[in-house]
Amino acid sequence: MDAIHLLIEGFSLAIQPANLVFAAIGVLIGTAVGVLPGIGPALTVALLLPVTFKLDPGGSLIMFAGIYYGGMYGGSTTAILLNTPGESASVVTALEGNRMARAGRGGPALATAAIGSFVAALIATAGLAFLAPLLVKVAVKFAPWDYFGLMLIAFVTVSATFGASPLRGLTSLGFGLWLGLIGLDQLTGQARLTFGVPQLLDGVEVTTLAVGLFAIGEALYMASRHASKPEKPLPVKGSIWMTREDWARSWKPWLRGTIIGFPIGALPAGGAEIPTFLSYTMERKLSRKPEEFGTGAIEGVAGPEAANNASAAGTLVPLLTLGLPTSATAAVMLAGFQQYNIQPGPLLFTQHAGLVWGLVASLFIANVMLLVLNLPLIGLWVKLLAIPLPWLYGGILVFASMGTMAANPSVIELLLLAGFGVIGFLMRRYDYPVAPAVVGLILGPLADSALRRSLQMSLGDPMVFLQHPSSAIMIAVATVALVAPFMFKGLAKFRQDED
Amino acid sequence: MRQFLKSAFCVAALTGIMFQTAPLAASELELTIMAPAGAGGGWDSAARSLQEVMMATGQAKSVQVINVPGAGGTVGLAQFVGNANGASDQLLLAGITLVGASISNNSPVDLTQVTPIARLTGDPLVIVVPKDSPIKTIDDLLATIKKDVATAIWVGGSAGGADHILAALVTKAAGADPSKVNYIAYSGGGEALAAMLGGQATAGVSGYGEWQGQIESGDLRALAISYPEPIDGIEAKPLKAQGLDIELVNWRGIFADPDVKGADLEALKSAVGNTVQSKEWKDLIKARGWADYYAPADEFKTFIASETDRVRSILTSIGLAK
Amino acid sequence: MSDKSLKLTNRPAAVIAMALFAVAAVTYGDASRMAVRATYGMSANAASYFICLFFVALGLGHLLSAFRISAGPTEDCDWRAIGWIALALTGLIGSVWLHAGFVLGATLLFTFTARAFGRRALLADFLAGGVIGIIVFLFFNKLLSLALPQGPLERLLG
Repeated sequence: MDAIHLLIEGFSLAIQPANLVFAAIGVLIGTAVGVLPGIGPALTVALLLPVTFKLDPGGSLIMFAGIYYGGMYGGSTTAILLNTPGESASVVTALEGNRMARAGRGGPALATAAIGSFVAALIATAGLAFLAPLLVKVAVKFAPWDYFGLMLIAFVTVSATFGASPLRGLTSLGFGLWLGLIGLDQLTGQARLTFGVPQLLDGVEVTTLAVGLFAIGEALYMASRHASKPEKPLPVKGSIWMTREDWARSWKPWLRGTIIGFPIGALPAGGAEIPTFLSYTMERKLSRKPEEFGTGAIEGVAGPEAANNASAAGTLVPLLTLGLPTSATAAVMLAGFQQYNIQPGPLLFTQHAGLVWGLVASLFIANVMLLVLNLPLIGLWVKLLAIPLPWLYGGILVFASMGTMAANPSVIELLLLAGFGVIGFLMRRYDYPVAPAVVGLILGPLADSALRRSLQMSLGDPMVFLQHPSSAIMIAVATVALVAPFMFKGLAKFRQDED
Repeated sequence: MRQFLKSAFCVAALTGIMFQTAPLAASELELTIMAPAGAGGGWDSAARSLQEVMMATGQAKSVQVINVPGAGGTVGLAQFVGNANGASDQLLLAGITLVGASISNNSPVDLTQVTPIARLTGDPLVIVVPKDSPIKTIDDLLATIKKDVATAIWVGGSAGGADHILAALVTKAAGADPSKVNYIAYSGGGEALAAMLGGQATAGVSGYGEWQGQIESGDLRALAISYPEPIDGIEAKPLKAQGLDIELVNWRGIFADPDVKGADLEALKSAVGNTVQSKEWKDLIKARGWADYYAPADEFKTFIASETDRVRSILTSIGLAK
Repeated sequence: MSDKSLKLTNRPAAVIAMALFAVAAVTYGDASRMAVRATYGMSANAASYFICLFFVALGLGHLLSAFRISAGPTEDCDWRAIGWIALALTGLIGSVWLHAGFVLGATLLFTFTARAFGRRALLADFLAGGVIGIIVFLFFNKLLSLALPQGPLERLLG
């Protein structure tokens, strides 16, 4: 049977009324649990997986797809409204999204996130269906030296989040890199900077840092200025929906985000964070209103959100074709598939084509359901900001600490959370950007192990990075991206002097 | 907030309906199983599987799973031992990784300090090479290692874990210095798989189940499994059957409070024993792709002692323990 | 920069420079004590030494700016409000540490945070926080089977 035929069959199963109801329930509870800060999509899916056990295989697969997309979307809602990213991939969303929400534009921010996620997931799911076997052949060729090249590119793009002062941006990045050292080294098992505290051996959780710096740091900062300069976020200003201009500024970032997110997500160690940084940087460069970045530019929400969701579909490529879970969420999904007797792996597409297409159809339906249910809910979500400030921040702190504790119920984790909150407050007070710290914590350990794995494979020969064309090109791109702005500046100055 | 609470209530009501399970009866045991790892991992899913079957078969009235992640399980183990008071309702699920982690992290507590109840599952490890590799047999691999131990690149799971240990044992069996093994640790079998398929490594080690698909499709060539006996449905022969005196099983077991005694201990042993001999348990581990490796408490106790000594001596030889 | 005289014009920058040097020193000390060596390629301490150098460079940068660029006008800071939030976080951490349970901790956290933002209805907030805490606890414990820290109240609820 050919692919299209199987896909149609899958859809005919998925659009039965009962299955649509399951999709709706899955999306709703996925969103409801996913919005809790600190509880990312992985934990959401893990927690709600047992719910699907009780259904017949078709219905449960669809509900499962709904939970997955709901959990993904839920993380960005709190990032936008409460400046509390639920997971590391929505850190970038918080940068512009929360600025928009504070200015009364939370509605359009949530809408562009939802529609962008929808568009990205739609395209990426189609990509998954038709390109997966091809894409995976390229992905496994990605060696440690190539990852190192990719990390260098990612590091260069981080400067977009630095704000006015490079020194302060680099300091924030350095803080994140330093935190990334803490814990057991992955390659040798050597403990770094743990000072004998066993709870530190696993390193610092990205969500703990993000929630501490963003949510708790923000609460402290707001409290410190509440008496002198009360700053009340506006729940709604202007239309709650996207205006014509919003649409015009959103659709290209959606597509670009998808193009960046899907292939990087398909890499075995690509992840969802790097595409969001890359997308943010790209939109900032391409925007016709770059001056709005930092004060609430809609492109800065649309692009990264699309990239995030596209990379989530991308992680399904190695998962389905190799049985290779490349993220925590994917690992949980793998357990879910096994329960439906789908054994992901090289034989899946040929032996169980029907199941694959049924899953693809379910993902499509869940995706549509997410949009249908969440767009009307936006009006309700933005009302969260109408809660009186004392209760709003009280609630934020309770939910933030709860998420951290549910993932890891230890006092050390809470102390870290509070400590990061204080640092986040000081960084805000003295005008240091907080996002680079989170980026440093994510990229630092990845770059460290990619570099050292490469050197271990080459027995210490650094030429390994230049001998392989792919990594040599990426290193060259990173170098150019780093040097070019200075050259252009120099050139512009030179021309000015000529005049 | 009110709106949020309202929606939380709706969800609560909804999920409440779906979580309802009909208890089958009898036992009054109300247990808590600690999985010393995060939700979603191997120990967590084993703990939750045990929870499911114990409640379904009526061996326990209620079972709760708590996750205490950290440092290969040593954080959870330390907490479990630290809170010990002879309680008859506390269980801990752990495995060989915790034995290694306790040693390499210099943890003050190890698994010999808790009360073994039963060994549950044991998964074989597999040694593979890429399909285009000139290495066809385990003897070819040994010869390659002997020729130049540095360029024989191994990939597998975390440093000091079962995969690393097996690579060191094979290197030693080849007559090379195990401290010179060029083992590249990845965060799990998944990422290591990509390195294998990309042809960046000479050989790889992982749990058989994780790489089963690639072995069956011919993308990877399995040279041997580390299980002592041949396993139905696995073509690769045990190392022991191929003339190497090496066996290593990724086992998981269940433990109780260090001070639990007498009738309480017997009740736990029989509840777990009945559970793992039920049809439900056998079906479940089969569906999960785990191998049954059940051993009752006494046998498990001597096993723990010998595993601890063995793992320590291997980790010392590869320089990860003193 | 017309002012060439060496005068400390930006105290926060100088303090941060010192903090950076201190962290670099701690990291150096930690790295120099690492016993496990990689047999091939770089060992785990390479990254530590790199970060040390990076921090020293950043510290020098801050030191330079401390003498060159004057600090912007610092905003007013309501230390009393900060104190309330510190108390709120202490309440949470304390009650988890002392095994008094999640609900009490969440209640204290909620109440004191609301106080930091100027509310004075301590009793009403305490009750509201308690209700939220109990709902959250039940939601996690009963429906998600995720164990939040338990104290006497939680065991009663469970």
